[in-house]
Amino acid sequence: MATITASPPRIGLPGLLKSRAFQKLLLLAVAAAILVPLANARWASGTWPSALTVDFSEPLAKASDWIIDNRDSHPLFLYFFGHVSNVVVIAVRAVYLTLLAIGWAGVTALGALVAWRVAGVRLALGTAVAFLACGLLGMWVPTMQTLALMVVAVVASVVVGMLLGLAAGLSDRMDRVLRPVLDTMQVLPAFAYLLPVVLVFGIGVPAAVLATVIYAAPPMARLTSLGLRGADKEVLEAVASLGSTARQRLLTARLPLARKELLLGVNQTIMMALSMAVIAAVIGAGGLGDRVYQALASVDVGAALAAGIPIVLLAVVLDRVTGAAGEKLGAEPEPRSGVRWLVALIGVVAVAVAGRLAGRLDWPEAWIVGIAEPVNRAVDWMTAHLYSGVPVIGGTADWAGHFTTWVLDPMRDSLQALPWWGVLLIVAALAWVIGTWRTALTAVLAMAAIGVLGVWKPSLDTLSQVLAAVAVTLVVGFAVGIAAARSDRLERALRPVLDVFQTMPQFVYLIPVVALFGVGRAPAVAAAIVYALPAVVRITTQGLRQVDPAALEASGSLGATSWQQLKQVQLPLARPALLLAVNQGLVLVLAVVVIGGLVGGGALGYDVVFGLAQGDLATGLVAGGAIVCLGLMLDRVTQPTERRAKKGA
Amino acid sequence: MRVRKTALVAALSSLALLTGCGAADMTKQASPFANAQGAKTVTLSVQSWVGAQANVAVAQYILEHELGYRVDTVQVDEVPAWDALSQGRVDALLEDWGHPEQEQRYVKDKKTITDGGELGVTGHIGWFVPTYLAKQHPDITNWKNLNKYSHLFRTPESGDKGQLMDGSPSYVTNDKALVKNLKLDYQVVFAGSEAAQITQMRQFAKEKKPFLTYWYTPQWLFKKVPMTEVKLPPYKEGCDADPEKVACAYPHTPLKKYLNSGFAKNGGKAAAFLKKFEWTTEDQNEVSLMIADKKMTPEDAAKKWADSHKSTWKKWLS
Amino acid sequence: MTATLEPPTEQTMDTTTPVFSVEGLWKVFGPKADRVPADPELTALDPAELRSRTGCTAAVRDVSFDVRKGEVFVVMGLSGSGKSTLVRCLTRLIEPTAGTIAIDGEDVRAMDRSRLRELRRHRAAMVFQHFGLLPHRTVLDNVAYGLEIQGMGKAERRERAAEVVAKVGLEGMEHRRPGQLSGGQQQRVGLARALAADPEVLLFDEPFSALDPMIRRDMQDEVVRLHQEEGRTMVFITHDLNEALKLGDRIALMRDGRVVQLGTPEEIVGSPADDYVREFVRDVPREQVMTVRTAMRRPSADQDGSGPAVRPEATVSEAIEAVARAGAPARVMDKGRCVGVIDSDTLLGVVAGTEQPAPPGTEQPKGAV
Repeated sequence: MATITASPPRIGLPGLLKSRAFQKLLLLAVAAAILVPLANARWASGTWPSALTVDFSEPLAKASDWIIDNRDSHPLFLYFFGHVSNVVVIAVRAVYLTLLAIGWAGVTALGALVAWRVAGVRLALGTAVAFLACGLLGMWVPTMQTLALMVVAVVASVVVGMLLGLAAGLSDRMDRVLRPVLDTMQVLPAFAYLLPVVLVFGIGVPAAVLATVIYAAPPMARLTSLGLRGADKEVLEAVASLGSTARQRLLTARLPLARKELLLGVNQTIMMALSMAVIAAVIGAGGLGDRVYQALASVDVGAALAAGIPIVLLAVVLDRVTGAAGEKLGAEPEPRSGVRWLVALIGVVAVAVAGRLAGRLDWPEAWIVGIAEPVNRAVDWMTAHLYSGVPVIGGTADWAGHFTTWVLDPMRDSLQALPWWGVLLIVAALAWVIGTWRTALTAVLAMAAIGVLGVWKPSLDTLSQVLAAVAVTLVVGFAVGIAAARSDRLERALRPVLDVFQTMPQFVYLIPVVALFGVGRAPAVAAAIVYALPAVVRITTQGLRQVDPAALEASGSLGATSWQQLKQVQLPLARPALLLAVNQGLVLVLAVVVIGGLVGGGALGYDVVFGLAQGDLATGLVAGGAIVCLGLMLDRVTQPTERRAKKGA
Repeated sequence: MRVRKTALVAALSSLALLTGCGAADMTKQASPFANAQGAKTVTLSVQSWVGAQANVAVAQYILEHELGYRVDTVQVDEVPAWDALSQGRVDALLEDWGHPEQEQRYVKDKKTITDGGELGVTGHIGWFVPTYLAKQHPDITNWKNLNKYSHLFRTPESGDKGQLMDGSPSYVTNDKALVKNLKLDYQVVFAGSEAAQITQMRQFAKEKKPFLTYWYTPQWLFKKVPMTEVKLPPYKEGCDADPEKVACAYPHTPLKKYLNSGFAKNGGKAAAFLKKFEWTTEDQNEVSLMIADKKMTPEDAAKKWADSHKSTWKKWLS
Repeated sequence: MTATLEPPTEQTMDTTTPVFSVEGLWKVFGPKADRVPADPELTALDPAELRSRTGCTAAVRDVSFDVRKGEVFVVMGLSGSGKSTLVRCLTRLIEPTAGTIAIDGEDVRAMDRSRLRELRRHRAAMVFQHFGLLPHRTVLDNVAYGLEIQGMGKAERRERAAEVVAKVGLEGMEHRRPGQLSGGQQQRVGLARALAADPEVLLFDEPFSALDPMIRRDMQDEVVRLHQEEGRTMVFITHDLNEALKLGDRIALMRDGRVVQLGTPEEIVGSPADDYVREFVRDVPREQVMTVRTAMRRPSADQDGSGPAVRPEATVSEAIEAVARAGAPARVMDKGRCVGVIDSDTLLGVVAGTEQPAPPGTEQPKGAV
């Protein structure tokens, strides 16, 4: 409380009094002065008062039992969810069988030729190499399973996203309803979606596909609506002035005008679907994610990497190809593009038929290259030499220990020592200073919901880990980002590294992280940093590079050193990007809290894993809900204004 | 306006299409990846520990090479695996450590799952210290002396208490209650996954550091890191009935197999084979060790074992 | 070349129905906008007061005018004067709040959706300030777009579009995208798109203000040429006085949503209705706008037969040249009859702006009370 009511001297500070931030704080302090004694008198306790919690475990357990008992008899399941599930299974199966029927050569040719048509020769080569690499690593069938699941999930996400986006883009009322929902879904960690769908559909592919759709459709919806709303007003007016009907307007003008955003939406949907398809291995998605997950069980980093590399390759190829397609829009159409498509199609059919005739549909066993062993040896060497006893700087285990004792422990203890209303007040103050009273209200309600759910203490534990991870991520990320913005060579060198870390399934680096940092919260923080760092570096670099060159030129002409330019021109002008980096860092770190649970992070992450593993939906859903609330709160506290930019880099 | 109407019509008609063609029981749907390319497919669930992988690897090898099936494996934790088994998403669960509640619901009440007989392996959970530590302090293997040595087990994570490391959240554990009820000066730290736990144990063993951990047999890691069990108050039937008040050791559990009822009836040779599948703790450990320590692929390990144990598995096929 | 060289004669125009007839038109933006035009107390307020009282902004206030067949009717005003809103009200791209609009005597505000679409498709086409072209279509398909919307077949509409593309001087660029054209070329596409539907009226919303001055002049000449060739009725919105004077047969000058003066360029320049208009036209070279008819004085009986002859439609600057060359006053001859005399004093008076001849008949805006 003292931190907030400590009002500065009033005399001589008229500027401060006038500042909006101060006015808000003052108002908050007054409100707090009235409410806190009341609350304190009623529920005097440091942690969240138990009188204010609601126990959800009983009803949730009942609900879960009811669903399991009625899944094969209740009409809701028989006539609705059953069909949904059925459609998913049939669709995935159809795609999967098609892919197998085309054979590895046919699929490779198909990928390469499509890439050639939409993105050019270089990416076509890259695509072919990526597919062949999947085969070489012995991952052909799992890759096809993941691909089949992805195709269905992406198509469904795009359709659902576009319908929602159309609704939000064309109707203001729908927009008002959908926007906050979509904004919120954007910040939620992927794991949060797993439990509810498992509850309804059980373990398996349908649940995995639906979780993926729920996760991947929002960016499509947001970008569709953004594209529709961002269309040049005068073009639409011109189209209306020619006497078009609403339908003509939509089909010939609004949608074509939004095609850049639509394509970006498809791109984002694909990337999110891919990352979810891996995470969904936990609920039985099969495919590559499952191979990574199985390798984890035998502590086999090499095998995990062998399954992880195809995922990275798929992600990079899909990202580049859809990205290139987006850039090609608006350019003059190639002559005879129809003929070239035909050539591509004939090529695919020819290769597929040849593969069939040669009886080579499955990837030949003899062509599989085992990378597991050398990788494992490398990892063993690294962990053996870095773990402890490194002269002067100490080993990684020592660092982890110090980090736990000197950073994580004090942070957790002080957060947990704060009275509950104190935490709420801090959240309110931060959110209000940065945003509006609405953001403050959302943030406070989200935080209070955590208390009501009865997981106040573990949530603050998780919060302390998240804050520590974000702090390290930002320090390192800004440093690397600034360096990359100043050197083209470094940026080029970093690009593939960032790609790999952004798309590599987190399960893969779980074991090295434990081998280096031991079990506990330190490796959880390390895993989070690895995951969030690429986005922060990217956003920082982009932000700095987009600074108006005229401003740089002007300061240069005044004789500023490059350090002065950075400090006085680039960083201040890139402020919005840096704030976005902070926000994204928080959201991403929170997204892997569950992964942290797998390496000893404890708290909420562990509870979610526990819920999934034990089928204990009460524990899992409550913890998942708390993570969601933390995410909401952190997002609101770091979201300066109504931000409508797309997610992440 | 027109757009909204069109959307409404589309939504309604697709709903009608979905619901119009009758009921669909999703608990009777197979995995979309099953039975691809005309082969008969068996889907086996794998649990996250290596012993379970070993069972599945050998079963898979024999199903594929002797009986001509195609085998899909899905990694699912035990409890969800029961649910998946009941729905037919997987056909068999080869190693179950005892889930009375699920057994009651699925085997006895709903009859969607059939008891597949014993695996032949007996499982046991306990607290373990590395043998080098037990040699140094012989009395450490009794729980009554654990408080005396708690300082040895301190880590940054457990603070000023000793650390008792627990593993995957999917495992059955009473450790939090045990620590409380036996008044031990220890903090339970959850490694969160078996992979993390094993990695940590090996790092400790490499440096001959003391550690106390929840662990279980049969487990291949004993061959790499010899460990000695710490005696807890003896197990008596029913002493673990109330999870809050447990103050006794874990039982010895004969591990069991379960099959989806439909598969058990119509699964032909595969089902018959899986019912007969039964081997020893030593067999399982041999395969586990090849997978986990020698980093052989499960398939290679299974082949190696099968080549040298023909007489064992021939019985399963008869 | 100025349009004023061949003014449509008053007699022929009065007999036909005006193309557009606007009467007491209001457009109010804001909450409960309807009540503003109906309430005499509110209509009397100035914009700032109206805004603070009701939260509404009146973009168009009680405007009335007729657009006659075949004329170029210019609406001129500074930004925010309501002129762009006004032109959008004509085809209900912006829905008017009150008043009546008739096209060829048919009530536009009473039209249902399909009738309104017919109006937009066939009777009035618009050219926009920033062109409003579809970036994903070729020049040809942009021009054919209006025809496509009308449901015309592909081959036919492309043929028609190709003709219009040639008419505006864009041959050879049919297959480019708008992004590959210069601003002037893009506006030619916009013009061609409007012409393709062969509308009765062309509406221009500041079509050339986004263009460079040189190109702007070319485009203005293009419009004059088109008007001379086809005699199509045009409503032209601009904030550029010179453009208005150059193109307009008649000009409506708007300020704060009202028409403050409506008349020929000569009337606006020669006899501004108020100080605002006077200030507006201050720098206009009057001798190039004013005609001899306005500047002359009645002939005295003794002056018949001497001095050079000028037409009454000649500009003052032409008369100056004639008077200077002859060194004597000139006679204003209309159909062989001397209707007036003009000498160096009167001419100087016009140039200096000191002389305020009684206007032959400045129209007052109809709605002005």
